[in-house]
Amino acid sequence: MKLIFKNLNVLRSTLNAIGMSFELKEIVDSAGINLPNLFDFISFGFFWRESLLIYLIQDESCPPSFTEEVVKNILNVFSTLADEEIEFQKVNVQSEKKRLRPGQMIIDPNIRLKSHLTLPLIIEGKIIGCISLNSDQPNAFDAQDLQFLSVIGYQMVASLKHIQRLSSIKNIAIYDTLTNLYNRRYFEERFEVETQKAFFSDTPLSLVMVDIDHFKKINDTLGHTEGDKVLKEISNLLKNSVRKKDTVARYGGEEFILILPDAGLEESLMIAERIRRLVENTTFEIAQAQIHLTVSLGIANFPSHRVRSKEDLIKMADQALYEAKRGGRNRVCIYNPPKT
Amino acid sequence: MPSHIIKDHKHIKWPSDLVLEIYSSLLMDIWEIVSALIGEAILAILFNLAIKRILDKYTFLSYIKVSEEGISFEKIKEGCRNISPNEIHRGFQSLINNLISLFSILAEGVINKEIFPKVFPKIKEAERIVSQK
Repeated sequence: MKLIFKNLNVLRSTLNAIGMSFELKEIVDSAGINLPNLFDFISFGFFWRESLLIYLIQDESCPPSFTEEVVKNILNVFSTLADEEIEFQKVNVQSEKKRLRPGQMIIDPNIRLKSHLTLPLIIEGKIIGCISLNSDQPNAFDAQDLQFLSVIGYQMVASLKHIQRLSSIKNIAIYDTLTNLYNRRYFEERFEVETQKAFFSDTPLSLVMVDIDHFKKINDTLGHTEGDKVLKEISNLLKNSVRKKDTVARYGGEEFILILPDAGLEESLMIAERIRRLVENTTFEIAQAQIHLTVSLGIANFPSHRVRSKEDLIKMADQALYEAKRGGRNRVCIYNPPKT
Repeated sequence: MPSHIIKDHKHIKWPSDLVLEIYSSLLMDIWEIVSALIGEAILAILFNLAIKRILDKYTFLSYIKVSEEGISFEKIKEGCRNISPNEIHRGFQSLINNLISLFSILAEGVINKEIFPKVFPKIKEAERIVSQK
């Protein structure tokens, strides 16, 4: 009886830890820390179909052949239940070795998978993955182990659902629904962080404003639906033209803004020019016609320009964009401070 | 009176009804035992998968409705009206074999060990009924 109470307490704290997790890896880690107190096993696996990812928490003594057996078994169970073949080679296996059983660590190349419990993870009737306990001992698990593992699996599913919901709320809050670029609110937050970082560490930061030339004409002649298509396509071009660390946001209407951390004037000019050329050379299929478009871009940079606040940087980029428009459009202008 | 009708005091039950009753009760027992081990959501998936696998051969099994709330046999009696007791027996036996196979894929012998004491006597009882001429 005492053992059951002890196990229930461990189960309770395991569920609690999983419930407090906000990321996939955190869920697996929370389980991984507590499972050795509940089960006698040498490998725990978590398969996440969406990312074709298997996290394994294994005893130090497990040889690669055992890992392979475990992975194949998890995939086999998933394939049988979900009626979907998953290729072993396509799965990303992330394995973490721990001491799960007492005694000296000896890697035994001959150990084989002798028993397992593998349960599907289900969200709204759909199998989204599996969890699996594995042992090199025959008949290592009993009905209580299965009950406990299923309760853990259901808690994982509840946490995963919670994470998915949070992430969709977060997406609504930070993305522009039409273009899938970051929205202006997210830009403001990110810009605050990036300017503070740049001002304190004295590292370069560039801001690029982009505006589609004669966009009003497209909306007026071809209609707003076609105008929206243009916005989407240009947004994709922008996303594909910047570096990983850059932020591209829709600033409003047909105006976009790019935050380029650690980019001096030269580098930001290169990026802006690349965007201008890409748009110029792209044929847009709008309203069953092929059209060509151009963009104007304005650049401001810290520390090249006398920037005292983040607002200054925005004003300067806006001024440079205005110069690009005034200069005939389809060009990149760097902020030019007024001569005193 | 045809020989395959069994007299039970005042009530007369057809063998197909008896076989249906045995298997409905067996499936309910399995549901009760296994749902306590792996939960209703997983079990409903397993039941539906087992049914899907043999539905082409035993179409009357489509009258069994399984969800997280449990199993419903509401319309199966009507659906089995023109099916021989032997065919019903074979269909259910095949369903149970499929379930056992799925349970063993998930947990090797752990689940089956719990349900076997219920399964074998009931299958024997159904066999006895269908073998009566």
